[in-house]
Amino acid sequence: MVTQFSRGQKAQLSAVTQSTDLYIGVQINAPGEWDISCFGLDTSDQLSDDRYFVFFNQPSSPEGSVRQLGPQQGDSQAFQVNLDRVPTSIGRLSFCAALDGVGSASAIASGCLRIVAGGTEVLRYAFTGADFTSERAVMIGDLYRKGVWRIAAIGQGFQGGLAELIRSYGGEVADEPQAAAPPPLPAAPPRPVHDQRKTAPPAAPPPPAVPPARQQPASGQPGYGASPGQPGQPGYGPPPGQPGQPGYGPAPGQPGQPGYGGQPGYGGQPTPAGQPAYAGAAGGMPGAQPPVPAAGFGGPEPLPSQVQPTQPGALNSLAPYRELPTTGRWTQQNGKLVKVTLGEDALALRGAMVAYQGNIEFDYKSAGLRGLIEGKLTGQSLKLMTCKGQGEVFLAQDAADLHIVELGNSSLCINAKNLLAMDATVRTEVRRIESAGIPGGGLFHFEVSGPGTVVVMTKGSPMTLPVAGPTFADMNALVAWTTGMRVSVSTQVRISRQIYAGSSGEALALQFMGFAGHFVVVQPYEV
Amino acid sequence: MYGSLMDHYGPTPVMERMSKHGSKIVKVVMNPGQDLFARTGSMIAYEGLIDFNAQPPQLGRIASSWATGEGVPLMTATGQGLLYLADYGKEVIVAQLAGEGLSVNGKNILAFDAGLQWNIERVRGITMLSGMGMFNVVLRGHGWVALTAKGNPIVLDTREAPTFVDTDALVAYTDGLHVQPKRTARLGGLIGRGSGEAFQLGFSGQGFVVVQPSEDERPNLSARG
Repeated sequence: MVTQFSRGQKAQLSAVTQSTDLYIGVQINAPGEWDISCFGLDTSDQLSDDRYFVFFNQPSSPEGSVRQLGPQQGDSQAFQVNLDRVPTSIGRLSFCAALDGVGSASAIASGCLRIVAGGTEVLRYAFTGADFTSERAVMIGDLYRKGVWRIAAIGQGFQGGLAELIRSYGGEVADEPQAAAPPPLPAAPPRPVHDQRKTAPPAAPPPPAVPPARQQPASGQPGYGASPGQPGQPGYGPPPGQPGQPGYGPAPGQPGQPGYGGQPGYGGQPTPAGQPAYAGAAGGMPGAQPPVPAAGFGGPEPLPSQVQPTQPGALNSLAPYRELPTTGRWTQQNGKLVKVTLGEDALALRGAMVAYQGNIEFDYKSAGLRGLIEGKLTGQSLKLMTCKGQGEVFLAQDAADLHIVELGNSSLCINAKNLLAMDATVRTEVRRIESAGIPGGGLFHFEVSGPGTVVVMTKGSPMTLPVAGPTFADMNALVAWTTGMRVSVSTQVRISRQIYAGSSGEALALQFMGFAGHFVVVQPYEV
Repeated sequence: MYGSLMDHYGPTPVMERMSKHGSKIVKVVMNPGQDLFARTGSMIAYEGLIDFNAQPPQLGRIASSWATGEGVPLMTATGQGLLYLADYGKEVIVAQLAGEGLSVNGKNILAFDAGLQWNIERVRGITMLSGMGMFNVVLRGHGWVALTAKGNPIVLDTREAPTFVDTDALVAYTDGLHVQPKRTARLGGLIGRGSGEAFQLGFSGQGFVVVQPSEDERPNLSARG
């Protein structure tokens, strides 16, 4: 089973696979050429041994534990990593992508990092350009050692290109004119940006052999004012036990390092004034920075100040809306569209199909479910259809926000108006919360239980509220809640709506009581 | 005064003929000689000297197709300045055509350069099946076009596989694709026990189809000032 990771998520590798021989594929669908490389960092997160920088000119680490495989299996770049053979001096394998040439990471139509072990995909972290702004490099994900091997989905943008990225890890880029700098300690303290600016030497003229496309100086990229070692960067904080050591603080170049001399690609990049600061895309400091598009789908729309220019050609103009690669049975195409890859049947709300590819039939769902539901309910009926065949179906309903919920073996209560689609394997039961105060005698909803996936739709971005202590939710805004909580109609928080002539009565608040782990989802829209 | 309204929603630098202001407003740079066709009533603001002509004589030849209410009500804008257009909070897509042909659903056209070759066509096949007409604006040439979509659209590549699209969700497609109506409903579907998915348009060939995540059957509010 594929575990979907989201930005900032971390886990022990053993939670997804027991194998230590991993295939790591990185996909980036974006204009321009992206160099995807693997940094083997020491326990201080510095690139102290550049033989562990695996990239297109150095496709393997010395003992072959990390090997670059090139594009394959639909991946833009793939690596073979044998964690057992990674020397103990290497504490972190960081997978990064850097744009060669002009452009920015916000133009990434789609991308993902996936781990395949034993022939099956076990983990996938998908990201899009909405996670980034003007950055030209992306730190995608890390495999790191903390007791055991762990995996972290980073999804952090980086202002500079590959050369700046290498420098930020303490690596040396050829033609760096800073030959007289003192050798930095591995745990060199971070320098604020302005200090870097003072100490950064003037840029050396690029050698003539360098292709012109590589000469894009990164200095024009605004750095959002965040200092390199800013604390609170999600996913990039220093490991516990090393206070004061910023995860990826830029360090000055290291003289005497063999560096990457003779490699035509990285020789000529002029040193920008000031090391690239970590971009505002950190996202974990609300209020400290201009708002950036939130990670994931359904986030706020781009601000006018963030809109990118359009390239000529209809397909280029439409590139941000391209179909995303399939990432399992259910794929979130964008905040309002979900793709289901058929094989096994799926159930969807009637009329929710907007497009499909393949040989697919839509059937009236007339099995027991309908009889059960429509026999019992008056207000809440679920008009489903069965999608069967081979291919991909795109589902959407009235531009509502869609959310894929992997049920696992647990179960969830969903308001019938908020259910869009589900696997045919999902069991559905109609439940009722009884109360004399509710119009119709009770609140009908569906209890869906796995295995399988359901797609929940909400009007507007929902809020998931952990139930710790009594939690109240308006019945009309309620979307879903976990099973096993005590639910009762609150008489104290009854909001009278009888001021409206002809209104049905009153909106009721439901009170939820549960233990940790339970939650309630509400939407900013009262039906 | 401070606030996100002042900090992030102010005017953006003029870059190109058309650009987006946020995701729902299109900004058009108007210059003399570069006229624009825009959906009637879609102007939300403008700066400079811009004239709007609601019934341009050029459009007379297709006026007959508007009689059904399914046509494409357009106006011309001429002058110099900045023109802001939007269509009831729908998402805006700005595309720059480089010689390609694009067939856009009449409901989804927002504006296009008058310099483009354009024509209004009835999509073949739909009338037979659903009894509804569907008018598309076929654009070709070098220039800019702004489309609208309800919700974030998706672009599907028809080179990968024949793509079938719900007619209510169709936004645009490459002109020249092979279009074939398809009926997935069985007989039962026609007598009230349908899956809700009776008719689709099938597209195949070299190109793409733009689909919106909404099946908006309600006609656009046509009464605009």
